[in-house]
Amino acid sequence: MAEPYITLVSSLPYLPPFEQAERSPITRLRLEQRLHNLDTDDARQLAKAEALVSWRMSLAKPKTDADMVLRSRAAMQDISQAALRDFIEFRIDQQVILAGLRLRNAGHDASALEPISGASRWVRHIATHWSDPNFKLAAVYPWIGEARGYLDGNNAAALDSLMMRVIWQRLGPIAESNKFGFEAVFAFVFKWDILQAWLARDAAQAKSRFQDLIKEIKNDS
Amino acid sequence: MEPLILALGWVGLYAPLALGAVGSMIGCARAGSAACGALLEVESGHGRYIGVAAMPSSQTIYGIVVTMALRRELSVENSPGIFGLGLLAGLALLFSASAQGSACAASINVSKNKLEIFGISLAPAALVEGFAVFAFVFALVLAAGIPK
Repeated sequence: MAEPYITLVSSLPYLPPFEQAERSPITRLRLEQRLHNLDTDDARQLAKAEALVSWRMSLAKPKTDADMVLRSRAAMQDISQAALRDFIEFRIDQQVILAGLRLRNAGHDASALEPISGASRWVRHIATHWSDPNFKLAAVYPWIGEARGYLDGNNAAALDSLMMRVIWQRLGPIAESNKFGFEAVFAFVFKWDILQAWLARDAAQAKSRFQDLIKEIKNDS
Repeated sequence: MEPLILALGWVGLYAPLALGAVGSMIGCARAGSAACGALLEVESGHGRYIGVAAMPSSQTIYGIVVTMALRRELSVENSPGIFGLGLLAGLALLFSASAQGSACAASINVSKNKLEIFGISLAPAALVEGFAVFAFVFALVLAAGIPK
């Protein structure tokens, strides 16, 4: 049983369920100090994965869908850790499904998926089942129905919360699969990222920012 | 043939101590690594974690005692028995110390976040210790039946 990161994992604090957290148990600076104990190659792969699928990176999306596909393909070529690759594919699948739901809500047809055709194994499946409410993927991704409901109701906050919960639940078994290995470390990092994003949510600030954007648009036009 | 049988006797004689010590090294290193990590996270109770990290060292002590119990003038008659008993006892001690190290590491990892479960989290490590004690005691009992 390979347990290369016993000290590192033991030096990481307990992360409470993100929806119950009142504060982050560890700062980014301190987390990075602890992550210095990672093997160089593992650290490089984790950095690539973070740049690609961390929650906060998903807020700073690349300019076009084609850019996103190119970036993910390039990153995946450099990532050899099987569990990390699986997680990245899961996140990309999740984003592709949400993109499909959004495009359909906006009145597009299946051809709108063309720019992301190489992003995920599900793109062709989604295009084929475009008229099905859940793209016939509810058995694989049980959250699709709930996500569709939030999209239909323009409830972005609830949708974010659902997506965070889905990722969090996915990371739990990954960490358990190798409690003192790389899997536990990267699961912690992505969970911490979600927790930070959750704590950074500020309804008042978001409303103010939204109103500023509306004003900007009105002034431009 | 006789030198080979005697050589196996020597292997069996030293196996409990050597294999027990190897197991303790692995176990203490695992649990000690976890203790070192936990020291970064907790403000107090450091000695508690270091103490838990030392738990897998008991297998070396058992190995010493079994080796002493097997010690006698080696002959063609008693060497096969010493080999079988010593080697198997040694392997049991090796695996138990190694597994106990993992159990201790897990205990340290969870109890640093929730001190109140410190005692109960040590139960798996104590169970593993129990199996090591079985192997140890029965090695002593059976050693008495090997011809002097």
